[in-house]
Amino acid sequence: MANIQVHGGRVEALPLRWRELWLKEDWWAIWLGLGIVLIAYIFFANGSSIRWLAVTPAKWSSFTELEAHFATNYVRYIAQFVAWLAVFTIALTALGHKAREFIPSFVVLYVLSVVIFALGQWDKANTYNLEPPLVALALGLLLSNVVGLPRWLDAGFRVEFYIKTGIVLLGATLPFTLILWAGPVAILQASIVSIVTFLVIYWVGVKLGLDRRLAATLGAGGAVCGVSAAIAISGAVGGKKEDAPIAITVVIIWAIAMIFVLPFVAQYLHLPAGVGGAWIGTSEFADAAGFAAAQTYGNIASSGAVAGSSDQAVFAYTLIKVVGRDVWIGIWAFILAIIATTQWERTETGRKPEAAEIWWRVPKFVFGFLVASLIITLVTTGYSLADFNKSVVPTLVAPIKDLRTWAFIFCFLSIGLTTRFRELAGAGRKPFLAFSAGAVVNVIIGFILSAIVFAAHWETVAR
Amino acid sequence: MSDKGPQRQCRSCDHFRNDAKYLETVFKGLTSLSSGYGSVRSDDGICVRHDRYLSARSSCADFLPVTSHPIAKKL
Repeated sequence: MANIQVHGGRVEALPLRWRELWLKEDWWAIWLGLGIVLIAYIFFANGSSIRWLAVTPAKWSSFTELEAHFATNYVRYIAQFVAWLAVFTIALTALGHKAREFIPSFVVLYVLSVVIFALGQWDKANTYNLEPPLVALALGLLLSNVVGLPRWLDAGFRVEFYIKTGIVLLGATLPFTLILWAGPVAILQASIVSIVTFLVIYWVGVKLGLDRRLAATLGAGGAVCGVSAAIAISGAVGGKKEDAPIAITVVIIWAIAMIFVLPFVAQYLHLPAGVGGAWIGTSEFADAAGFAAAQTYGNIASSGAVAGSSDQAVFAYTLIKVVGRDVWIGIWAFILAIIATTQWERTETGRKPEAAEIWWRVPKFVFGFLVASLIITLVTTGYSLADFNKSVVPTLVAPIKDLRTWAFIFCFLSIGLTTRFRELAGAGRKPFLAFSAGAVVNVIIGFILSAIVFAAHWETVAR
Repeated sequence: MSDKGPQRQCRSCDHFRNDAKYLETVFKGLTSLSSGYGSVRSDDGICVRHDRYLSARSSCADFLPVTSHPIAKKL
């Protein structure tokens, strides 16, 4: 019986153990991300670069310029499309998806991504707030909610897979020394916010009469990493089947609203890029949604509207959200599993929490992010700053960064394309109120910590 | 109730559904900002007997060996 594998929604009798290495998208994001980093380094070490493949639309001010760019570089785009298609198809097929469904869907996604990327490179884009993350999200929402898309197209809209791959690639552009320097403050700040937010949502939820397992599921969704945390905690505490969909609905509504609100509030408050990124990292709920907001704020910084650089916003966000918050999900799950099985229901699920749960649930792609950072930091240690900027950045770091940008655009577009508001479960007033209470507290404490207590730290991060 | 061995856990129960694609279908909106294929889910799934979302290591008195299911018998 231990070897039973029945598919089609039924059951996987085998414990995951080592099979996680090819059955979880976290690991595939690591294989893909680190694979790209290693290939980029091999080219670099041999005096070449993957720059040709990492093509992106150039800045343009007239359609003639844009047309000329694509006329000159269309072969590079085709090659890049084929490369993305190949690696994603391999990974998703291994995860159990059907290539014949993924391929046509990815064609649509890539073409739309090229359009959005090109639009973001228009020299008037900032004037009209045409930030690529926001345009991608808005276009996706419009297509999925107003125009309507066939369900089979969803096969290529893998939000989490793209964002995880992008985060691993992001690691290669972020010095490991910066993680060591800024990481402790990020973890401290994220921990304060996470604990307070969780307790507020849980307390308000229980006071409103919600089941404790639902209150905990909502609390984790607001405090740690959105939908992913909510389903992790729901499983850990043995929630009702309807708990996770309720949490999914409130997280999506709040997270998408925050994407459009936070960057512009931060701009209105003239927060430096690093401070704004840290605030978004403490206040957004899901990684993908937060990256959309942080990238938008980075673009605002690039336009000169606020102090700092695009990298500062994205790096500060990443340190808070990925390093500071995401890695705690396993610990939250373990603690709440203990409480659930010893205090809430001692006999219902016949389960003893195991410390190994911390490892099982930790988002493994974070290790890929750290390893990518370590690899690039180590191989570039001997370069002076001048040599680094002159030879390493354009031939090694910049192409990886460009590929990361593509992965993020695939993700932002997929968020909109997969979010069908009318299909979301009804959340109910009480869960929404409980979550909203935590969200408001989250934003306020996040602002105090980012813009006042640790303002000097985040203002200078990656300067 | 004591912790059961792997043979009596939900992962081996006919009432248990933890296929990632199935969960993405049942949990509407899951793919918008997350996924059924992530590490954080571990191997949790839905118990259709009790309508609960549980760890695959859970167990209860209603355990039904998956071998009794016609699909499993074909394997």
